[in-house]
Amino acid sequence: MAASIALARQITRVNINNTKICRLSTVCTDGAFCNASLKRYSDVAPSRSDPEPDVVESHNETLSNAQAHYRYIFPEILPNPDSTRRNKVCEMLERNDMMNRRSVLEIPEFYVGSILAVTASDKYAAGNTSRFVGICIDRGGCGLRAWFILRNVIDDQGIEIMYEMYSPMIREIQMLKLEKRLDESLLYLRDAPNEYSTFDFDMAEVPHVAGDHVPINPLKVKLRSRPWLERYERQDLKGVEDLGLAQKFYDRAKQLATPWEKYDIMKQYRATVTAEDQDEVFRDIHEKQQQIEQARIVRRRRKKLQSNR
Amino acid sequence: MSCLTLLNGAIRNGFGKASFSTTQSLQQIIKLSRLRVVDNSALGRAAMQSGKPPRCIHVYKNTGVGTIGDKILVAIMGQKKRGYIIGCRQKQAAGVPRFDSNNMVLVDDSGTPLGTRIRVPVPSCLRGKATGDFSKVLAIASKFV
Amino acid sequence: MAASMRRLLPGNCGRFIQNVLPNERLLESRYSKSHGNTFQRTLPYVQFRMTHSPNTPAPWWTKKLDTSAPEDLTSDNEAFLQDMVEEKYSVDSPLKEGPWERADWTPRSVRCGLICRKIGVIPQWLNNGKKFYTTLLQVADNHVIRYTPPEINRERRRGSRTPNFGIQVVGADSADPRLFKAEYLGLFQEAGVMPKHHLSRFFVTRDAVIQPGTQLNAMHFSVGDFVDCQARTIDHGYQGVVKKWGMKGGPASHGATKFHRKMGATGGGGNMARIWPGKKMPGHMGNEWRILKGLKIWRINTKYNVLYVHGPCVPGPHHCYVRVMDTILPLRKRKGDGPKPPFPTWFADDYKDQEIPEEIFDESLHRFTASSIEFEEEK
Repeated sequence: MAASIALARQITRVNINNTKICRLSTVCTDGAFCNASLKRYSDVAPSRSDPEPDVVESHNETLSNAQAHYRYIFPEILPNPDSTRRNKVCEMLERNDMMNRRSVLEIPEFYVGSILAVTASDKYAAGNTSRFVGICIDRGGCGLRAWFILRNVIDDQGIEIMYEMYSPMIREIQMLKLEKRLDESLLYLRDAPNEYSTFDFDMAEVPHVAGDHVPINPLKVKLRSRPWLERYERQDLKGVEDLGLAQKFYDRAKQLATPWEKYDIMKQYRATVTAEDQDEVFRDIHEKQQQIEQARIVRRRRKKLQSNR
Repeated sequence: MSCLTLLNGAIRNGFGKASFSTTQSLQQIIKLSRLRVVDNSALGRAAMQSGKPPRCIHVYKNTGVGTIGDKILVAIMGQKKRGYIIGCRQKQAAGVPRFDSNNMVLVDDSGTPLGTRIRVPVPSCLRGKATGDFSKVLAIASKFV
Repeated sequence: MAASMRRLLPGNCGRFIQNVLPNERLLESRYSKSHGNTFQRTLPYVQFRMTHSPNTPAPWWTKKLDTSAPEDLTSDNEAFLQDMVEEKYSVDSPLKEGPWERADWTPRSVRCGLICRKIGVIPQWLNNGKKFYTTLLQVADNHVIRYTPPEINRERRRGSRTPNFGIQVVGADSADPRLFKAEYLGLFQEAGVMPKHHLSRFFVTRDAVIQPGTQLNAMHFSVGDFVDCQARTIDHGYQGVVKKWGMKGGPASHGATKFHRKMGATGGGGNMARIWPGKKMPGHMGNEWRILKGLKIWRINTKYNVLYVHGPCVPGPHHCYVRVMDTILPLRKRKGDGPKPPFPTWFADDYKDQEIPEEIFDESLHRFTASSIEFEEEK
């Protein structure tokens, strides 16, 4: 009850994307409701990726501090909010599998707009591995079904590959550039000139210091002329330059818009996992996550020592 | 998570709404689909430059829907030619690349490709289909994805 | 129960407690050679009228739920009653008779099954990288309640096609005894277990008998076994022909007047000038007993008693009860040459001193604690 009252108070403050109630939406512990909007990109929670920490911070971190970050590092750890499918035992078993996989494969914190390099096993490729570099244009899925799409343009050919995050075929996920964009999904890059989606396969890793805020790339993409794959004027896109359409398109978009949806508390409630359940999930993974991070730090230190020798 | 809400079938006319369901845009390669020739054959290049890309007139498959690695018959510059699909706009399984255009290479009746080079990347899963004719196509591919 | 079914039951069934489901004819057809396998892969879907048995109890069944008015007990009395319940059921009393003899498994033996709860669907990966879905079935606190030997079974069920099978009644999900009527609680006295929310019946051969009161665990099955999963399908309610029978209906536009999702013609005419019985028409869809056969068990979690069974299509909605039994498919069932199953069931007491692994995997299943899959260079 308290949670829903808090929700109601916050809801008027937030500008919610009308077309999608994103499953990634969460209730922040600081009280601001995050749902598929700019509010998610607040400066409240800094990044958790740590390439070379000197101090073993995470080990001494309290649970509440860590929890504030977990919904950004693992958006897929929260279960499907559909109440008819919720089962604590099933979710716990799936979460165990996910954390076991994460203890073997380092899955970095990334957002839509980040540039990643994925190395996967491929029996038909040279050396039985294939590496693909691209910008993450979309991500989704709950639990072990979590996926993300990388896009790149090679030899003037736009290519996208969807990867399943927990598939054992993935050998390495390397973060080349950690950043966010102004939108939750960059599917409009398919209708943008190739320059916006071209990334060099040999591009150098852009280092990101631990504890720094994740930079927001305020780039506004200028789309090609119509026809487009979607009706972008009906989507509340922030990262696109003025579409330059006739007024009738915007009028029609306004006719079809559903501005009352942002006041629909029950709809938001149904699309999110309650704060109490979230706390339970994060508490469950906290210990395991600390172990994983500790092991990683030790491995990196060992590598550093070896390279120094 | 692409926004396909526009295709959810609520067709509204001026007076009311007549709604019937429509399928998503499946982007399958079927009869009369237009394709992009990505080899350096003279015929392919001429067709693409003339603004009349080849149209699929038959898919050599029981389902009639072509995907990566399937053989098709196309009508190109007034002739019928066979070809292989080497890139699809259709949504693919995890790990399989999805291309922004439906790419094909032209092949003659004996299975030899008309061109000498494929100028775009080609999915590596095609190597799994390398039987007889297909190996000749793979031989002219320069980059694998 | 359908009127046609009631006629088939013997006259003295007033004493025969029938709180259990499913439809017995369906069960019997699994094991009777004369009826054969109705759900062969090669046959098209055949409407089988007796799958529509309703969920409502027959009048002669033992009355289950205590629907008397609330007693308005004081908190002290409430606490006292709870203590009484705990006292009665927490102590492991010694068995009235000693443990029953255990026979050896033969390929012709038919073991008891388990009652599981369908708790979710999770993807898993094989060692070659192939992804598939598995349904998680949690063994819901099963205890054996009763055994009826084949002689009594034969007498009661005259015309039964399975005269040599005994009936094992298994209960799932212990419940507060105060929810139930006294006569329902009486069902569990012989077994000496807490009353159960749900009861189900399994046909077993004489050698596979399990003593009432025995707990059944997920270890009753082994990884690599094939099982049949039977449950009531999702209840879709009253549905039209398009959804229920997959009819095409009519065109959406092109001037079609009031003919979009209708049945169309009902028959031919001629000699049988009427609508044939069994004509596909709108009606209630779902909530029918369906069995999915030959599902492999990929993984078992012994701590939470969960079976990971192949495929996302186990019948029933989430959290429904599923009956899980050894498969009858001839190519997937246990042969005499392979390892023998725990017979008649897996007894936890036999393994008290041994440490049982928390997770047991099929050898071709990828374990998430293992490193990523790598293909070796072919020489």
